[in-house]
Amino acid sequence: MKHIMDIRELEITAELAQIAFTPAELERLGREVTQMVSYFEKMKEVDTDGLEPTTHAFVKANRVRPDTVTPSTLADAALERAPELEDRFIVIPNVL
Amino acid sequence: MYDTFVGLEIHIHLLTKSKVFCSCKAHYGDEPNTNVCPVCLGYPGVLPVLNEEAIKLAYVVAQSLNCRLSPRTLFERKNYFYPDLPKNYQISQFSDPVGENGFIDVPLAEGVTKRIRIHDVHLEEDAGKMIHAGDMSLCDYNRTGYPLLEIVTEPDLSGGEEAEKFLQYFQRLVRYLHVSDGNMEEGSLRCDANISINKTGGGLGTKVEVKNLNSSRFVRKALEFEFKRQSAQFEAGTRIVQETRLWNENRDVTESMRSKESSHDYRYFPEPDLPPFVPSADFLRLVDSLQVELPLARRERLKTTWGLSAEQADFVSESKTLADYFETTAKASGQGASVANWLMGDVQKELKHFDLTLEASPLSSARLAQLVTLLESGRIHIKIAKQLLIAVFEENKDPETLVKEKGWEAITTESQLQPILEKVFTEHSGVVEAIRAGDQRQKGFLVGQVMQATGGRAAPALVNQLLAKALG
Repeated sequence: MKHIMDIRELEITAELAQIAFTPAELERLGREVTQMVSYFEKMKEVDTDGLEPTTHAFVKANRVRPDTVTPSTLADAALERAPELEDRFIVIPNVL
Repeated sequence: MYDTFVGLEIHIHLLTKSKVFCSCKAHYGDEPNTNVCPVCLGYPGVLPVLNEEAIKLAYVVAQSLNCRLSPRTLFERKNYFYPDLPKNYQISQFSDPVGENGFIDVPLAEGVTKRIRIHDVHLEEDAGKMIHAGDMSLCDYNRTGYPLLEIVTEPDLSGGEEAEKFLQYFQRLVRYLHVSDGNMEEGSLRCDANISINKTGGGLGTKVEVKNLNSSRFVRKALEFEFKRQSAQFEAGTRIVQETRLWNENRDVTESMRSKESSHDYRYFPEPDLPPFVPSADFLRLVDSLQVELPLARRERLKTTWGLSAEQADFVSESKTLADYFETTAKASGQGASVANWLMGDVQKELKHFDLTLEASPLSSARLAQLVTLLESGRIHIKIAKQLLIAVFEENKDPETLVKEKGWEAITTESQLQPILEKVFTEHSGVVEAIRAGDQRQKGFLVGQVMQATGGRAAPALVNQLLAKALG
């Protein structure tokens, strides 16, 4: 069955992704996303009974690192990119 | 009238040196934004790599809570937008957590334990710390990426008091396991509570989540407040709303926290940058070797092995360090109850007086064993033993050495005591005459004089015996 991405569902998705759209954009995206979703609908038709989902390809062994500290040489450089600082705190508009 | 169902979500910081997915230092109290790197700040193109110590400690906790250990544990992205995590998602676990379906037996009162089921144990990264001040918020990402272990219980607790006891026991447990310092003030143990109430027999009610519980006492108070609030709503016939509330410690109330209804969809999906972790047989053997006797089991064993009272067993099993110290001392001296009493009484007093911890004090378990043995074998008296304890703290020497140096050994033979007795008789001949004339009340005075002359070292029974002999 063809899944229609209606405007309400699209609005919720956009809100979750924190993206703002104009009504015209929503209209156009509604059509495009519906088309994309239909590709997935097609894939879902394939019988996958008894198959494990593949979350990672080409993974042969655990990938872990030892618990050792590397001094962070990039901390100051990262802070330099912050728009506003106060005593090494990054300052943003109040979000509470 | 009502059944209360409480479940807890407990977060603990694991005791690792570095963060869970990058090699920044995991350390509390440093200058803001010093322990940060492109990985924990969520720069594009970086690759998180799992800290092997963090995953090991996660499995250690899951096993100690009797969970089914995952043979293939998976990391997932939990998507949400809040500036405490610059990536806009938290690496967590959802479909295949480290452990599931466990339980823990919690002591509630003397001889009463309750089995609390554990829903799951999962490893994730902590978020940063924010300070909200005026029109701005200040962000510190030092804590971002700390290894955080979340333990979710089933709603098996019956209210605030049980939740408080559970949390206190859980704190003891993680310290015994040495997986977390469990410090609630510094946020290395945090707790959210879910509570629902219903008419007795009606099953689970509407779930309300309470956050911002920074101590086990607040957990109890917040849950007690919620019980009153929700039962009042029941009485009034008002519907209880499913919501998240914050504990306000200044006003002793919970307050509704407005949150967007649609924001609860975290859209979990497998973290493509982190492969699943498959514990090997060696890894599981290592995890098994790190299990310890849990506090409740240890407390009960101390009671039966050393004949301790409930109060003594509670005290010495407070921490694993103290319980180990106690058992070493008890074994060396063969005196369980006496050692426990010393630890609870005079040792505590002197530690406080000298402002020391037991581990940092000059009182090793071997020294306490020596002191107790000297006392129990009658070589020193109780008053001397107390002086001796202080001397160990002041001079950092073995009790045996101190007793010899100071001549504190008890006077237990007639030949040692007789000359002292005669000296006292000479000095107080008037009193001696009075007693001989029939005034028995003055005898106590002479006993006191003998004790004083021997610095309290004379065995009182021997003094009384010799006095009776000399004075008829």
